[in-house]
This record gives sequence, C-alpha cells and structure tokens, in this order.
Amino acid sequence: MKHFKLPDLGEGLPEAEIVEWHVKVGDTVSVDQVLVSVETAKAIVEVPSPEAGTIAKLYGEPGDIIHTGEPLVAFEGEGGDRGTVVGELKSGEPSAGGPSADTFIIGAAASSRRARANRATPGVRALAERLGVSLEQIKGSGPGGLITNDDVHRHASHQKQLVDAEPLRGTRRTMAKNMALSHAQVVPVSIFEDADISDWPPGTDITMRLVQAIGVACEVSPALNCWFDGDNLSRRLLREVHVGIAVDTPEGLFVPVLRDITHRSLKDLRQGLENLREAVATRTIPPGEMQGATITLSNFGTLAGQYANPVVTPPQVAIVGAGRIRDKVLPVNGEPAVRRVLPLSLTFDHRAATGGEAARFLGAMVQFLRET
Amino acid sequence: MSGPDLRAVTLVEAVNLALHWEMAHDENVVVLGEDIATNGGVFRATVGLKEAFGYKRVMDTPLAENLIAGTAIGMATQGLRPVAEFQFMGFIYAGMEQIVSHAARMRNRTRGRLHCPLVYRAPFGGGIHAPEHHSESTEALFAHIPGLRVVIPSSPQRAYGLLLAAIRNPDPVLFLEPKRIYRAVTQQVDNNGEALPLDTCFTLREGEDVTLITWGACVLETLQAADRLAAQGITCEVIDVATVSPLDRDTLLCSVAKTGRAVIVHEACRNGGVGAEVAASIAEGAFLDLQAPVVRVTGYDTVMPYYRNEQAYLPQVGDIVEAVEQVIAL
Repeated sequence: MKHFKLPDLGEGLPEAEIVEWHVKVGDTVSVDQVLVSVETAKAIVEVPSPEAGTIAKLYGEPGDIIHTGEPLVAFEGEGGDRGTVVGELKSGEPSAGGPSADTFIIGAAASSRRARANRATPGVRALAERLGVSLEQIKGSGPGGLITNDDVHRHASHQKQLVDAEPLRGTRRTMAKNMALSHAQVVPVSIFEDADISDWPPGTDITMRLVQAIGVACEVSPALNCWFDGDNLSRRLLREVHVGIAVDTPEGLFVPVLRDITHRSLKDLRQGLENLREAVATRTIPPGEMQGATITLSNFGTLAGQYANPVVTPPQVAIVGAGRIRDKVLPVNGEPAVRRVLPLSLTFDHRAATGGEAARFLGAMVQFLRET
Repeated sequence: MSGPDLRAVTLVEAVNLALHWEMAHDENVVVLGEDIATNGGVFRATVGLKEAFGYKRVMDTPLAENLIAGTAIGMATQGLRPVAEFQFMGFIYAGMEQIVSHAARMRNRTRGRLHCPLVYRAPFGGGIHAPEHHSESTEALFAHIPGLRVVIPSSPQRAYGLLLAAIRNPDPVLFLEPKRIYRAVTQQVDNNGEALPLDTCFTLREGEDVTLITWGACVLETLQAADRLAAQGITCEVIDVATVSPLDRDTLLCSVAKTGRAVIVHEACRNGGVGAEVAASIAEGAFLDLQAPVVRVTGYDTVMPYYRNEQAYLPQVGDIVEAVEQVIAL
C-alpha cells in the first residue's frame, strides 16, 4: 500500500483535526479530488488527493487530531514503505525465473593460484612463449621457485621429444611415484627357482597355492615378512602375514591386501581374493584395503613371462613373482623327463635380509609347492 | 528442521536476517543506534528486532555518535557483543575518537586483558539522491587504523555471511553497507547462520585477460562492465575485496599473476584511497607478472556532489570498459 501523509498545510501548523471524510474505502479517486476536510488552528482546509487511485484505508475518524507527516489515507497497490527516509533506494528488476542464488569463490580462483605458482621474469615469459612452452608445467629452479631461462629450455627440449605428452593421473600417477621412490631406496637382489608341480591334481587353485606357500616360507624365514625403516635402520618382524596381490587393470597397478593368510581356510581366502578383485574391477576398493601388506605376490604368469625382478615397495622387504607354468625337460633319476614347472622369482631388499634368508624362503616355497 | 531455509532477500534484508539470527542464537548480542528500535532504522535494517528481542537488547540512542561508539565499547569490553549503527557514514566522525583511540586499541593497550568484540554498522556511499553528508565513502580513513577491520559486503549472501562473521569476531569491525545497492538485487540466501570468512577477497567471476578489483556498490557496475567486455571477447576476473582492511593481498596477486593486468574500481575519491594501497601491493608483489600499468577508476577528489551531479561523480560502466581497453591495448 502507498500512503499519503498529511502535508504541511501552511504556516508551519503542526496538526489538524479531521472534520469530515469525503471518500470511503474502496472509492476510486482522481487527482485533486477532495479527500477530507480538516480544521487547523486557522481555518478549515480541504485536502486534495495527490494522485488517482483506489482508497485502501482511511486513518482516523472525524474529531481525531493528526500531525503533519502522519498517514492520512492509503492507496491500493505497491510502494508503501520506500525503505528509506533520506533519498531514494532503487530496486532492481526482478529476474525471470525468480531470484537466483549467489555464486562466488572464497579467495582466489584455482586457476589464479596456479598462475601465481609460476613466477618468471618478463624475459623468461617471452622465451617460453617463443618456444611454445606453458609455464604451468614447469617447476622453477630459481630462487623462491622462480622459473629460469634454463628451465624453459630444458622443458622445450623435453617437449620436442614427447610431442604432446598427457599428464599421468590417478593410479598410474601413484604407480610412477611409488616405483621411482622404491627404486631410489631399495637394494634389490633377485633369485630364481622352478617349482615342480607335475603332481598337482587337475584344477588346483594356483594363486591359493602360491599364497599358502608364501605363508609357509615366512615361517621358515621370518626375516622376509618384515617392515624395514631405511631412514632409522630399524625393522619390525611381523607375526601375521598380509599378502599384497598385484592386480593389473587398464588404469594401472592395484595391490589389494589379503589379510592374515596363515590363519584362514583356503575357501575363506579364495572368497576374500574374489571380493578384492571385484572391488578393484569396479573401482570401489577403499584405500584402507590397499594398505598394510607385509609381502607381495605378483602372479604375472597368468599373462606371460617366466622370471622377473619385481620392485619391492618399502616398508616391505620382499616380493614374489610367479611366472607362466610350462612343461620342461628335466632329469629324473638320471633320465630326461617332461615335468610341469612353475617358475618363481624372489626379489628382496638386501638391506633388510641376507641372501641366506632369502634362499631358505624360496626353498621353502618350492618344497611346499612340490607337495600335493 | 527440514531442508534449507531459503529466503529471497535484498542486501538490507540480508542484514536484517543476520541480525535476527545472531540475536536469537547469542543472547549477548545487542543492537543500538538512532531510530533503530521503534522505527526499525532509516533503511529498515533493524526492523522487527525490538518486537522480537525487546527494548533491553534493541536500544534507541540519542542523536550522539560519540555516545553510540563509546557505549558500544563499554558493552563489548564487559562481555556483550554490541552491533551499533551509525545512521550514515557521514555522521561517524563524531565517534572517531572512540573508534580509533579506544575500540581499535583496546586489546593492545590492555595487553590482552580486555578486547572489543563489537560491530559498527554504517550505510555508506552515494547514488541515492541524498543530501549533504549522506553520500560519503571514507573507508580509507578507517582502513588506515590498525586493530580495526573494515568489511564491505556487496551482495545479499555476502552481507549475511560477513555480518555474522563480524559479530562473532573478537575484535572491532566497521561494517560498511553500500546503500545504493541495498535493494538493487534480490537473491536466495540460505538462512542457516553460516558465516563467511573475513579477511578474504571473493572471486565473483573467473577470467583470463584482466583483473577487475572492486568493493561495495561498484561491484554492480564492474560486473556489468565485465559483461560488456565479454561481448568483445575480453574475459575479466572480477574480485570483490570485501574486507578492505586487512587486505587479502594473496588473492589479488594470484589473479594478477594469471591476467597480468589490473583495473581497480572504487567510488571513494582517488587520493589516498584503498585503491592506492591495492595498486601499491600489486606493484610490489606482482611486478614480474604485469603487462600494463595498474589503472584506477574512482570518484573525483571533491566533495560528493548534490544529487543532480552525483552520476557524474560515480564510476560508470563506460568508465570501467574504457580503462580495461586502455590496459588491454598494451
């Protein structure tokens, strides 16, 4: 509603008494039509309407005193309270589809933060532009991370070789980092041996046999079921055996952990492994399921290859590789015989275990696998 | 409670909403000022508070800014969280002694024994056809005072979140409300009592070519200029400084590192304005990133004119576009 207030009726008279209303609520009035007669200290004055409209409300009855500036009548429609007593406040046009939510970034945009990380002098920037190098991909080697001319040149020659290299993401990126890290720390030694598995009944679960063999070997040679801290030169021999199972996926290498293998039934282990594989395949495996391995098994033989020197991931000290099973001619009782063999590779961190401990470990595995 | 409490509100209504929320959730919050209780404030920022929380927490004061500023300090040091209103920023100077010599220094002078968790609210800026003393933008005077935060919201959501943060802050905050946009924009605000951080800029729009740095009512014209420039293929990063003291230099430097160009827009006169501090900070911290000089679009170094000429004084969309074209040309 829009209010019409009692105007100054002249000579600074502060108030007036209502004598008679000439309109009633609901009346349509035109400009200058008389609304009310009021009596001031000096005279009876007729107050005209300032605008055309419909009367929504009359303030006061005949006999009431109203003061200058107090509302006299209300017109129907918008705009009653102008929201200020000084000046005019503009209201915006209502937007189509109603008011929207406000969106903004608290602080700097991510793209700005990245830009700030690439500090370079104008000369270096010009060089980068000339060589078609994006500063965003360079980690500066100058003071305070400043990108130098050399950095740009180095990156440019890299870029020439790689053309349009795609940055690694996710699992593949993690793999690259972890492998480089372990290569930098571990002192790896690999030994190889074939296990004769000719006497296995058909349908033997190869992976489960390997897992069990690792369990047995860990008992014989506990130094390989261990976490080693190269920085502090300390180690922790572990009572339980948690086997990391390397799983190949298009996204990269996953190593879910099969826990406490020496105290679980074969069936339970197999089910556990299936669950892990399934979780990896559907990418639903929680990070916790890929932590805490004490030793790792890489069963690459399901694809191809006989022997390998797989990479030990600290703090573990050993990894077992199982190659492709094949027939081999071997001497048996002085006569050549065709035997079925499973080639094994054991890589261990020589900082944490001796060659003897590793050889006994591998020997125990071969021994266990030969038995049916 | 079920679902978010979304309200379509203007900036001044968001101020009102935040005051309602905080008074309902913290009984130490009181408000005081001229005409704020019975009348609801000259801009209706405090409407409904007296009815909801009573005259003991919602106090009309005499027409005496020194008293308003000082009373709030006394209340704050004794455990209340007063939100005191100066009816217009042009009237704040009578309270300057209290604000500068007492509120801003209380923590330091008492060696941490007393502190001063208060908010001084004041509508500021021109453009509403107001008479003399009603159109000031003197935020720089206060930005120069250590111990005092100067916060300027520029949208309903930021008014809501920043006012809550200001009230909860343990030190004095001068909360300057750009009255020209009090009712200019209606937006959805979630009335959930969540504060926005102080001492940080807000990136309103991401862009590659130039950083537009502004605060207060000029945010509106700056966004419009960014729209117009986008049509020319120039993308602007628009940053609302929001807390003009202490200044979030990090956000500004990051953005300039990306764009290489900065245009600062403020309504206050140019000489010694906050824009000068922003420009100096960019010169110091982002010299290597700059492709062009930092340019300012500001009011003039005159008294804010009466309303017939106030548009001539205020930075216009065309002025901002021109400044951007100037730095883009380099």
